[in-house]
Amino acid sequence: MQYQSQMVAKPYFIAAIGLFIGQIIFGLIMGWQYVVGDFLFPEIPFNVARMVHTNLLIVWLLFGFMGASYYLVPEESETELYSPKLALALFWIFLVAGALTIVGYLAVPYATLAQVTGNELLPTMGREFLEQPTITKIGIVIVALGFLFNIAMTVLKGRKTTVSLVLLIGLTGLALLFLFSFYNPHNLVLDKMFWWYVVHLWVEGVWELILGAILAFVLIKTTGVDREVIEKWLYVIIAMTLITGILGTGHHFYWIGTPEYWQIIGSVFSALEPIPFFMMTVFAFNMVNQRRREHPNKAAVLWALGTAVMAFLGAGVWGFLHTLSPVNYYTHGSQITAAHGHMAFYGAYVMIVLTIISYAMPMMRGRAAANSEKAQVMEMWSFWLMTVAMVFITLFLTAAGILQIYMQRMGGDAAQPFMVVQENIALFYWLREGAGFVFLTGLILYVVSFFVGGEERKETA
Amino acid sequence: MSTPDPNNDKRLAVMAEMLYLCNLLLLPGIAFIWLLLLNIRRSSVASPLALCHLRQTLAASIWAGVLLIPITALSILMGGYQSVTGWTVAILYFTVCHASLVLLGVVGLAKAMAGLSWRYPLIGPVCGTRP
Repeated sequence: MQYQSQMVAKPYFIAAIGLFIGQIIFGLIMGWQYVVGDFLFPEIPFNVARMVHTNLLIVWLLFGFMGASYYLVPEESETELYSPKLALALFWIFLVAGALTIVGYLAVPYATLAQVTGNELLPTMGREFLEQPTITKIGIVIVALGFLFNIAMTVLKGRKTTVSLVLLIGLTGLALLFLFSFYNPHNLVLDKMFWWYVVHLWVEGVWELILGAILAFVLIKTTGVDREVIEKWLYVIIAMTLITGILGTGHHFYWIGTPEYWQIIGSVFSALEPIPFFMMTVFAFNMVNQRRREHPNKAAVLWALGTAVMAFLGAGVWGFLHTLSPVNYYTHGSQITAAHGHMAFYGAYVMIVLTIISYAMPMMRGRAAANSEKAQVMEMWSFWLMTVAMVFITLFLTAAGILQIYMQRMGGDAAQPFMVVQENIALFYWLREGAGFVFLTGLILYVVSFFVGGEERKETA
Repeated sequence: MSTPDPNNDKRLAVMAEMLYLCNLLLLPGIAFIWLLLLNIRRSSVASPLALCHLRQTLAASIWAGVLLIPITALSILMGGYQSVTGWTVAILYFTVCHASLVLLGVVGLAKAMAGLSWRYPLIGPVCGTRP
């Protein structure tokens, strides 16, 4: 590790993994509730489990992005972090605020939480993924601004590279777009429209810039390919991301009451959205094929390649599957969306955070470059278990989605009610739950791999 | 006597992989005919690297046609247009099969760009033999 201040990334990564475990446990609880409706009722109702599952995902990914930034920016800028103390203070603020919010979700009814936290003063609660109390949202903004200040000051005082600048643009976009969560118009159409400014422009916009920057950093370090080559790829990828992603937001505007021209704009631009993911896959494989060194951390390279492939499949292929408006007319809000959401989040964002953790953690724990062979083998097992499990989760949900659409939306007068259809597709929910337990096994192995000792693997070329 | 230009060979290999992907993603049929013509015209003068990619992509494209069109059509026709099972199997099969073939093409393209040979698993002939 080149700079001492990079160590502040460690608590962020540990918190991220801890919250990831929580997310998966709540995912399994929900999966069970899909087939056994009163499981853990009234202690953890389905809507609460879902809220905790999705909110934990967002929070732990943010911890991961922050940790990644604190690790890679000093190295890219060739200088110590502007303020490691601020980074640690923000870590504790974010962790405590996040934990209190989750406890709030679980301990009191949501309406009471809204009342206790003074939601009526500035109403922002009650919207999917943005359920956090207003006071928590304000906390997130403070943490994000402090974090951005720290990273920007570090970049400004040191070397400016394409990787750090793309990362900074992505992080700035992340912070700015979150501000739309404070705008809560009474008009439901406007409400939904601006809600997508946060949700879509995060995951299909600025988060992709963060993904590209982290992936480029890991590939520069592990392959030894010239920085210039990797940076050129990065430019093209982020350009395509923004060209397709911004107007691609239109695929969320088909059925919320916006003008009809969004059917065309949304269909055309979102049909192009797989392109940056396709390019990312070619990029990752190309860099690994042209590598000039054999980095001892094989697990990190595997995660990097896996990120590109799974992001292409989950975000690209499964996104395209239901993005054209004539198709989306039938598929929106069905299990097809859930299938896409699971694989896209796992492929694009979960895996990139695990990639940087896999790359950085051995060095932060005192190794020269990589864990022992034994630890890496276990980590690679965890990679395959989680990835294969996610593929099956996606396939089972896709099958459930096709059946759901057919029975619920295509039958004309014979169309069946929602809950009847849910009973009919329960088999796929059981299968998905089984795959979920395999995923949890992979995650446990991932955590255990950090505690496997042995002699460090050395560079071979 | 002129020596073969390695850049030209790499370009030909990349071209073959791109046409394979184009056939799957953008111009089905047209890109295949283009790839076929490229094979006919350039196979006799291509280097082992370019020849390997030309042969691989031609064989993989033929397999892609066989795997994607008749089997998908059969699963719909056997189940009937009104059968939910037929559609479920057909959509899942097509999506998984098509995405896998594209991913193999991506790996092939990356190999060609790096000047390395590549054999499509299961569907690609051994390099140096006829497809």
